[in-house]
Amino acid sequence: MKGIIRRSFAPAAWLGWQVESNWASPLLFLAFSVLKPVAGVLILVFMYNTVSRAGTSAPIYGYIYLGNALYVYVGTVMAGTSYSILEDRERYRVLKYLYIAPINIPVYLFGRATPRFLAGSLAAAITIFFGIVFFKVPVHLTLVNWPLFLTALMLGVVCLAGMGIVLGSWTLTLRTQPWFLGESTAAALYLFSGALFPLTLLPRFLQPIGYLMPITYWLELMRRALLGPAAAVFPTLATLSNAQLFLILGVQTAFFLGLAFVAFRFFDRIARDKGLIDALSDF
Amino acid sequence: MNAPIAFAAAKTTRPDSGWRLFLRTIVARAYPRVVGQQREKAWLFFETFIPFVAIVSYVYVYRALDAPPDYIGFVVIGGAMTAFWINVMWNMSAQLYWEKDNGNLPLYIIAPNSLMAILLGMALGGMLATTLRAIVIVGLGTLLFHVPFALSSAAELAVIFVLSMAALYGLGMMLASVFLLHGRNAFQIVSALQEPVYFITGFYFPIRSFGFTLAVAVSAIPLTLGLDAMRQLMFASGPTLGLLSVRMEMAILAVLAIVFVYTAKLWLDHMERRAVQEGALTDRRR
Amino acid sequence: MMHMSDTPAIRIENLGRVYKTRGTRRERHQTKERVALCDVNLEVPRGEFFGLLGPNGAGKTSLIKILVTLLAPTTGRARVAGFDVVENPHQVRPRINMVSGGESSGYGLLTVRENLWMFSQFYGIDNKTARGRIDELLEIVHLKDRANTKSSDLSTGLRQKMNIVRGFLTDPEVIFLDEPTLGLDVGAARDVRNFIRNWMLAQSGRTTLLTTHYMAEADDLCDRVAIINEGRVLACDSPSNLKRRLRQEAIFHMEVSALNGTLDAFQKLPGVRKVVHTALDDKSQLEFILDADDAISGVISALTAHRAQILNLQKREPTLEDVFVDLVGMSLAEAEKKQS
Repeated sequence: MKGIIRRSFAPAAWLGWQVESNWASPLLFLAFSVLKPVAGVLILVFMYNTVSRAGTSAPIYGYIYLGNALYVYVGTVMAGTSYSILEDRERYRVLKYLYIAPINIPVYLFGRATPRFLAGSLAAAITIFFGIVFFKVPVHLTLVNWPLFLTALMLGVVCLAGMGIVLGSWTLTLRTQPWFLGESTAAALYLFSGALFPLTLLPRFLQPIGYLMPITYWLELMRRALLGPAAAVFPTLATLSNAQLFLILGVQTAFFLGLAFVAFRFFDRIARDKGLIDALSDF
Repeated sequence: MNAPIAFAAAKTTRPDSGWRLFLRTIVARAYPRVVGQQREKAWLFFETFIPFVAIVSYVYVYRALDAPPDYIGFVVIGGAMTAFWINVMWNMSAQLYWEKDNGNLPLYIIAPNSLMAILLGMALGGMLATTLRAIVIVGLGTLLFHVPFALSSAAELAVIFVLSMAALYGLGMMLASVFLLHGRNAFQIVSALQEPVYFITGFYFPIRSFGFTLAVAVSAIPLTLGLDAMRQLMFASGPTLGLLSVRMEMAILAVLAIVFVYTAKLWLDHMERRAVQEGALTDRRR
Repeated sequence: MMHMSDTPAIRIENLGRVYKTRGTRRERHQTKERVALCDVNLEVPRGEFFGLLGPNGAGKTSLIKILVTLLAPTTGRARVAGFDVVENPHQVRPRINMVSGGESSGYGLLTVRENLWMFSQFYGIDNKTARGRIDELLEIVHLKDRANTKSSDLSTGLRQKMNIVRGFLTDPEVIFLDEPTLGLDVGAARDVRNFIRNWMLAQSGRTTLLTTHYMAEADDLCDRVAIINEGRVLACDSPSNLKRRLRQEAIFHMEVSALNGTLDAFQKLPGVRKVVHTALDDKSQLEFILDADDAISGVISALTAHRAQILNLQKREPTLEDVFVDLVGMSLAEAEKKQS
């Protein structure tokens, strides 16, 4: 275990940090960290203000805002993990060397995801900060259930990393459009995770997809930690206690971690058969 | 390998130049993209169905807010137009950054063709996927969510669309010149500005929400006025939510198209000269 | 009136290129300058096969980039096919092409034929002419059977052959070859050299500028060679004339048992102009450039005094490598190490 961490996880986390922090200009980095997430949430704030008469005190406002703010982890951790595989294969062209090194590739990918988690945390924190200070999101820092928040965050991020490895492994077998796989999946999951609206608004036959998604339960836990009783207004998961939500999320996390290792082996074999470990998807 | 190579010189025709070379280059550069998409069809799923699913999220946001039905239509049309924005930004402007990475950019520069033609070829090649994406979003969106279209003038809509595209692609070529020189920085800027552009362009809500002054200020982005005009032409409540009259917006788009395309030519030439001075064309660190 | 055929294919006057580089993150605000080229003067007449020989980092690629209009000089000027590369790049480009070693051009999903057709279109070549040339060139480089293979499925050597075809497909007046045989196996490299030689022979007006750090390649192909090191041209003449400079000297190649200690003792011997030492696993290789044959006896005595056993001793004809050593004071390999 120590060897795996020393050879696979630690260098990958260091490398991921070098890549993430390699900004030509700190100003640009700030723009990226502030502008991008805040603009994303502003779209929703303006959509809300354009049609709603209820004002920012309505529970749906906090629901939408926080769902969007926290969803940034899906982009940075889940999509980011699959993006790392592509970067290593196509931009830095080192994936073939990683393959022949005595490291554990899935663990390496976890390591690469770690700095992205930090970047995602920065974006989420900034968005929530702006929400509290400028956009009247009803979050009171003194009333936040921090143990619940942090525990749910850690569990959710591990689950997202596992999902990212599944996606990333699949990415290895694609020659065209591989760059969009992670982002596209994150965009599609927006619909089924209760990030922007309660699942009960979806047609009945689509709702089970949302109930199968770990992101649904994760976002519910995070909202409960930040909003307190206001989060219980929506009936979707109101009947489940925190413990039950943790249990479901825990089982799903274990499932996706297992699936990550299985999927990696499966797609890895396909990629090797097709000679795609060092392929370029250029046109 | 001992035979002399004369290319049967007597039969060789003079190479094309000017407009003929321009058109040949567009076709040749579009070719890899079109053929690539035929050879691996995974894009059909990722470029059409997945973006549609993402758009549906915004539809349900409006449903959660009990928004009027026209707003569902705004999301559908806005979502369709994001396809063109993405094609311009990532399949054209940023593509020069990738071409430097894969070694093709120097070969494009030292050839006698025009960089504008290369860029247009890239954009044209991506048009198939882009158009299909837009059609899927509009088609499925209309079918599933019963979007209440109320088209007032198909002719004006067509003109607005064409002018918006001309201005948008002109803007894209201007940005491509920035990529040429600044490479990695520009890539990060475009990536960082994606959501801000979606926001200030009003892809999903009427731009009038910004207030008149600010809305006019952001009209320099072609899709801002293009979308505003499309909403006015396609939906019953569109005219009441519009920023300026359709005719006025048409005129502004025409001016933007001319200005952007002309400026693109100037910028491309200027940036290429600067890139040559600084050695940026082959430096993969930039 | 000067005819175009009278103007040199390449004219370089007082050319210099300085790169500004930023330091590490800590030294971010310090801009360092690196001189890639300094005061280069060269003229290549039409129809000449010209070589630029030097170690890695000598400035060969920077010079080619300037001549093909990818890079501007910091000082001086250059003209290719009669046109200034900075003032009139659009006049230069229809007349030239470039092939680099280790190049990955084109798109992996396209076949060889498709990639080549695409590049031909950027030069305005009509489809019929392009097809004919592609077929002819693929036949010559023995790649015709792979014409419909995706370029991503080609080996490095075959991909380089495709790149070579890409460069010659446009029938340029001046072609620039930047280490075209880099990374190729012996057979493929020989094929490429034969191809280039035959292309030059077919029409008198064609000009080639080849950069290489393979001495034998320059010796074999080039009408004239410029030796370049640290951005400066040290000598420029035909390979035979350059070697003739050393004909008065005697060049001995020796293998001896492993030598310990410095070469100072040998360098100071009477009649020894230069000595280059290459340490191998259990022996040493020594190259001596001597003023005359009889200086060898002093060298042998010195070796005996150092208890070195002579395993092999040969007198040989000077090569371009020897010319380089004579000019620079170290071998090509040592010069590359110093550059890095």
